Amino acid sequence: MSFEPKIVVFACNWCTYAALDLAGTSRMKYPANFRVIRVMCSGRIDPQFVLEAFKQGADGVIVAGCHPGDCHYINGNMKTLRRMTMLRKMLEDLGIEKERFRLEWISASEATKWVQVAKEMVEQIKALGPLKSKLEVMV
Amino acid sequence: MSEKPRIGVYICHCGLNIASTVNVKEVVEYAKNLPDVIVSRDYVFMCSTPGQDLIKEDIEKYNLNRIVVAACSPSMHEPTFRAVLENAGLNKYLLEMANIREHCSWVHEDKTIATEKAKDLVRMAVAKARLLEPLKEPEFEVQPNVLVLGGGVAGMRAALELAHWGFNVYLVEKSPTLGGRAALIGWIESKRRGSDIVNAMIKGIAQNPRIHVFTNSELVNLSGFVGNFTARINVNPRYVNEKCTLCGECSLECPIDVVNEYEFGLGRRKAIFIPFKGAYPQTYVIDYRVCVKCGECLKACRYGAIDLNDKPKTLDVKVGAVVIATGYDPYRPFMGEYGYGLHEGIITLFQLERILDPEGPTHGELIIGGKVPKSIAFIMCVGSRNTTPNAKNYCSRMCCTSTIMNAIRIKEKYPDTDIFIIYKDIMTYSSDERLYEEAGKRLIKFIKFEEPPTVSVGPEGLFVNVYEITLQEEIRIPVDAIVLSVGMIPRRDLPDLITVTRVGCGTDGFIREAHLKLRPVEAPASGIFLAGAVTGPKNIIESIKMGSAAAARVTALLSKGRITVEPLTATSDKDICSGCEVCVGVCPYGAISMTEMDGKRIARVEETLCMGCGACVAACPSGAMQQKGFKDSQIMAQVVASLGGV
Repeated sequence: MSFEPKIVVFACNWCTYAALDLAGTSRMKYPANFRVIRVMCSGRIDPQFVLEAFKQGADGVIVAGCHPGDCHYINGNMKTLRRMTMLRKMLEDLGIEKERFRLEWISASEATKWVQVAKEMVEQIKALGPLKSKLEVMV
Repeated sequence: MSEKPRIGVYICHCGLNIASTVNVKEVVEYAKNLPDVIVSRDYVFMCSTPGQDLIKEDIEKYNLNRIVVAACSPSMHEPTFRAVLENAGLNKYLLEMANIREHCSWVHEDKTIATEKAKDLVRMAVAKARLLEPLKEPEFEVQPNVLVLGGGVAGMRAALELAHWGFNVYLVEKSPTLGGRAALIGWIESKRRGSDIVNAMIKGIAQNPRIHVFTNSELVNLSGFVGNFTARINVNPRYVNEKCTLCGECSLECPIDVVNEYEFGLGRRKAIFIPFKGAYPQTYVIDYRVCVKCGECLKACRYGAIDLNDKPKTLDVKVGAVVIATGYDPYRPFMGEYGYGLHEGIITLFQLERILDPEGPTHGELIIGGKVPKSIAFIMCVGSRNTTPNAKNYCSRMCCTSTIMNAIRIKEKYPDTDIFIIYKDIMTYSSDERLYEEAGKRLIKFIKFEEPPTVSVGPEGLFVNVYEITLQEEIRIPVDAIVLSVGMIPRRDLPDLITVTRVGCGTDGFIREAHLKLRPVEAPASGIFLAGAVTGPKNIIESIKMGSAAAARVTALLSKGRITVEPLTATSDKDICSGCEVCVGVCPYGAISMTEMDGKRIARVEETLCMGCGACVAACPSGAMQQKGFKDSQIMAQVVASLGGV
């Protein structure tokens, strides 16, 4: 069987989770590699969650929220942006390829953007191969 | 919670919506083996009464203390299932939903893959459910005031109803007058004018002490939350006060001359003007955007009604709810679209409405481009239904009826006019179908197109070229005038309002209702309601009804004086908190302060101010700050479960 990457998505309740709902009600099709964890705001997402996901065997992680300026909680996503920028540097140091982690702004109406991101990410990670084997080498 | 979790898992078929892609029985069997799961069942519609009863009975029978429902999105039925728990005597926050419809069965085709994903989603939900805790909803007092944005028929109707129920209403209108588009173009059936309805509403509003009207005003900031919003309103100066007698001397002296938007560009007006006869407030007004303050009007005014030193004002009002009823813009054809702008005989439907209006630029005489046309072609679906690359993909709903109604009105007054209606489909829904029949009787000619017609403008006149599908040949119709039946599009300034109110919009650019059937007239954001064409094309009657409906929803929300909100707030553990104050700076609501407790400085969250974003939790270095319903341990359990662990 070909390699099917496991990708964990942290999505904010108001924008990205709703965009995924819209993709559903619009019967759009995208790969089934994603497992979505809903939080109220992307500002709730602790970088540790992302690290834990990689540790548990995720081949990729997406953190997604409302566009800057559109946050339901004024500016939670700007905090996300800062935290994830730091995290990205850390992942680099850990040898986790940058394609495996994405920070995306997907509004409630952007179901098509979600589908595009989903397809792209699966393609990219398939090309990279599984992460776990690499992590074991590192450890 | 010390009590050991006893979980019931309920998998919904949603008819075939889930069951056609997900092997529900397999998921049920799978869930039985997950830790702490006591019972796992499926049902064809979990949200139906028998489905709900099934859960309720199980809670009692098996003494369940956590419930997982795998069905649609929580935004759809979480309230339904929470109510089931409540009815069964369980705290309603001991529910976790797995979204196996929107996030699974509707987006995947392969049954094996979808079934495996559904199992994962159920496992993740069970993992979180094991760690759920009962939560208590905070209760707030609400402001008995309502902000209504938009002074058109929908907004005015909502304002009148809300005032009737005893609420104070701040009616904020961006333009200098109440009335909206219905005052200018509306007809209800072919005999009753929209302006009659508008005038009646304006009269009611003017007499109502509970309705505070702000014209020339706009909402610039909205903070707070359901029941307790603070709205910041910018009030631009009118420069003319109530001493104005409408004599009009000022307007004669004004040197500024601009296109009259109230005639849809057909005429011109001065900087000091009255938008239309029944405008409210009943005074002239100076357009603050174009006035150069030369003072000519001041000299002309004999009543001291003009004050050029009038300044813009900003005021904050406290409101419990917001009704957005800001309406639409007419689609504006681009230069050259069906010859628009190239010949004065080519106008839009909105302009025709003004021409046929007794108070319009031609006083109701059918004069287009300086002459009375002997023949008119109406081109339908301009800007709608994908007719051109520029057009919207939706149907604008009112243009068929409006076009036919206007064609009949022309035939009534000018029976010899040749009228052609060149259409894609005719959608005179409901009782408007009578108009379509009447149009046929009056020998209005209907020509159906598949490919949009073209217009040629030349020295020999105007021609519409269209491939006639019954004749199966191209025909060329010489006409004196062409009316483009343009549709409705989102207002140009709607994106700004969406940003301020944080309501979100659909792909068409209009504001989306939270759910067309389950939560109509509600915006996705709590405490914000919608009325009229701000949600998509509507006619006058529909807009008025929606105004009433929105008012009813606001009344239901605010009438008790107190409301409860979701308790997903942050709390700080006093034993762990080290008093570093990182959270204080992170909170966008100023909900966290430092306090002294047992000789130690610790963070304290003010629950009424906390909106539950969780930003402070992610920032807390010690793990003292946690968000109810989204604790670190709960999210981590989901992460582990999402990757196969339990």
